[in-house]
Amino acid sequence: MPEKSIREMNDFERLQNSLSARTFHAIIIICVVLSLAAVLFGFYLYTNSVRNQYTEKAEDAAKTIAGIVDGDEVGKYVDAVTETYLGLSEDVRQKPDSDEYAKAFESIADERFYEITELLKKIADANGLSTAYIGFLDPTGKKFIIVLNSDPSGDFKGSGHAVDVDKNVLTEISKNLSVIPALISKNDNGYFSLGNAPVYDSHKNVAGYAVTGISMQTVADMSRSFLIQYVIVLAVVTILMAVLMTLHLKRKLVKPVNQIADAAQNYVKDKRAGIISTDHFSKLNIKTGDEIENLALIMADMERDISEIENNLTSVTAEKERIGTELSLATRIQADMLPNIYPAFPDRSEFDIYATMTPAKEVGGDFYDFFLVDHDTLGIVMADVSGKGVPAALFMMVSKIMIKNHGMNGISPKTVLEKVNEQICSNNREEMFITVWYGILDLATGHLRASNAGHEYPVVMQNGNKFELLKDKHGFVIGGMSGVKYREYEIDLTPGSKLFLYTDGVPEATNEKMELYGTDRMLDALNTAVNGSPYEVLNAVQNSVDSFVNGAPQFDDLTMLCLEFKGGGKKTMKEITVDASVENIEAVTDFINAELEAIDCPMKAQTQIDIAIDELFGNIAQYAYSPGKGEATVRYELEMDPRRVIITFMDKGKKYNPLEKEDPDTSLSAEEREIGGLGVFLVKKTMDDMTYEYSDGYNILKIFKNI
Amino acid sequence: MTITKKLDGSKLTCSLEGRLDTTTAPEFEATLNASLLGVDDLVLDFSNLEYISSAGLRVLLSTQKKMNKVGKMTVTGVNETVNEVFEVTGFSDILTIE
Repeated sequence: MPEKSIREMNDFERLQNSLSARTFHAIIIICVVLSLAAVLFGFYLYTNSVRNQYTEKAEDAAKTIAGIVDGDEVGKYVDAVTETYLGLSEDVRQKPDSDEYAKAFESIADERFYEITELLKKIADANGLSTAYIGFLDPTGKKFIIVLNSDPSGDFKGSGHAVDVDKNVLTEISKNLSVIPALISKNDNGYFSLGNAPVYDSHKNVAGYAVTGISMQTVADMSRSFLIQYVIVLAVVTILMAVLMTLHLKRKLVKPVNQIADAAQNYVKDKRAGIISTDHFSKLNIKTGDEIENLALIMADMERDISEIENNLTSVTAEKERIGTELSLATRIQADMLPNIYPAFPDRSEFDIYATMTPAKEVGGDFYDFFLVDHDTLGIVMADVSGKGVPAALFMMVSKIMIKNHGMNGISPKTVLEKVNEQICSNNREEMFITVWYGILDLATGHLRASNAGHEYPVVMQNGNKFELLKDKHGFVIGGMSGVKYREYEIDLTPGSKLFLYTDGVPEATNEKMELYGTDRMLDALNTAVNGSPYEVLNAVQNSVDSFVNGAPQFDDLTMLCLEFKGGGKKTMKEITVDASVENIEAVTDFINAELEAIDCPMKAQTQIDIAIDELFGNIAQYAYSPGKGEATVRYELEMDPRRVIITFMDKGKKYNPLEKEDPDTSLSAEEREIGGLGVFLVKKTMDDMTYEYSDGYNILKIFKNI
Repeated sequence: MTITKKLDGSKLTCSLEGRLDTTTAPEFEATLNASLLGVDDLVLDFSNLEYISSAGLRVLLSTQKKMNKVGKMTVTGVNETVNEVFEVTGFSDILTIE
């Protein structure tokens, strides 16, 4: 196993570690081992058979010689040589190569002696013997004495020469056996195969021994060349097999494996490039019929399955992304729904306002709102819809629009809440509800009218004191029950006063120890910024909540609003309360005219206003308390920028909304025309706006005239 | 409001000065009722009339209906304010304004 991973290798290392290379190596090793075994075994068999063949041949030759020669003659020469040999002095006997030694035996050789020698030579030549001789065993048993030699000049010399015979040969011969096994013997001249056969005389006595020798040198040479050829053939066969096997392997295994690897690589590349449907594995055409083909088929299946899964996943992801996008769009719409550009009223010096909403989820159920009902009235809303997320946000949208729509009519806070409650209760199957604090602030006077539908206590800072909870009377939540009545309360904000509104997300902010932030901490935080701007006040609370929560997840929306009333509004307001009688029309007209003249009201507008007073106060005087009597209040208000006169008629008479009356048909002839309805119609036509509200038993009718 | 009457045979000219509104309309109506007998040509001079409210319109309408039966009624000297009221209320189509 390579220590490096294949990705860390260079090309050469990869080649070295490739399947082909490894197979090649393995085949070479196996072949070499097999070849070695074959060579050794073959060589052993070969040499064995050759040796047997040679020893047999040597033995046959020895037997032939023993059979051909005349035993009696041999016996005669043996006896002569023995006699001569024994007669040699010890000195001469030790020097067989000396002339003296040779001379001692010369006399023995007669004509016949040479004939036999010649015979031996012929037999030796015919049988490829390197030596053939007849001799006897030295009576001492240690030496073999040559008597007749095929080659007297050769190694074994002539008669009388004693040779050191192989001990084994001597042993065999000394046993006086009739058949002596051939032997392989080694002397200084190399290996010889020695054959032996006893020569018998006419009395069947052993006259001597015929000994033949075949040099084994050729055999050794043949074995060597056999070995070399054998090894060469095996090497060639081995390499050929290794190459063939490698090629076969390459075709059957390596090439398809590489194809699969390439396909996998391209597959990965495509996946990284974001291509979903691919056919890298499917288009592979691997027909090896083995595990590789199976692997390719499995990979193709896998590719198809993954593509399928990815397609599903893509559509699921796309859907999820779409929802995410829509949700963030919803969040933005929701955020945009709330007034969030500050300063909200840059041209107004009477007040400063700042508010924030931090939803716990993408979209929240909290909301705040503030809007100018008219030039001098600011509507302020702080609300919390039950639940969170999209449902709460939807409900919040509806509620916000309803509250503002009703609020913009200039009607009292409690009426706004009652109307919104009725509207929501009329169709609220999901039983959602909402807590609302709604107030309207007279920017000229600091007079605040507010109504609380189950919402948190507002916090007020008055006259440079501390922020304190204003424990107002709570009504029931909006959407909880139809027909609920709400209470209203009024406070007068002095210049410099602040109003802080919030949702339960602030006091119920929770830290990791599951402790609640609480209103006490909130008041403390508020009081650290008691003299700060609304922005600073909210920041102080936000920072305090953040450090308290210390990274714990936000469970509820966090919504806050702070209003600072600065006062100094330019609005003027006067009112007159008189008996509601026709006689007082003039007094009321005079009261209003005095104001209008003071502001240099154009004559035409003044006349129109006078007519309006005549019509509206006249109606009150004639019908409101009829047949009894009662009082009516007429309030004059002047707004600046743009200049607008607001005249409010209030009476506690019969509830009557003149705006509900249908306009007369002004196209009819005198005979068809009916008396009545003209007055209000006339006022509607000449005034810029006109509102009616019935609140606390008062008919409140307002007319607005831009001047 | 001051009402000045001038009877010339069957032609009655009424000059109004001031305002014809809820307060003064009853008086105007009473004056007319008392003077219309035998009159077939009624001229209402509004030259000095500051304005008119619906109470005045009511009187004008009922008087116009009466005069339609016996003769004619003409309104003269209508100022801008009053004319606007007539226009808005459709009275300019009913009345004969000169």
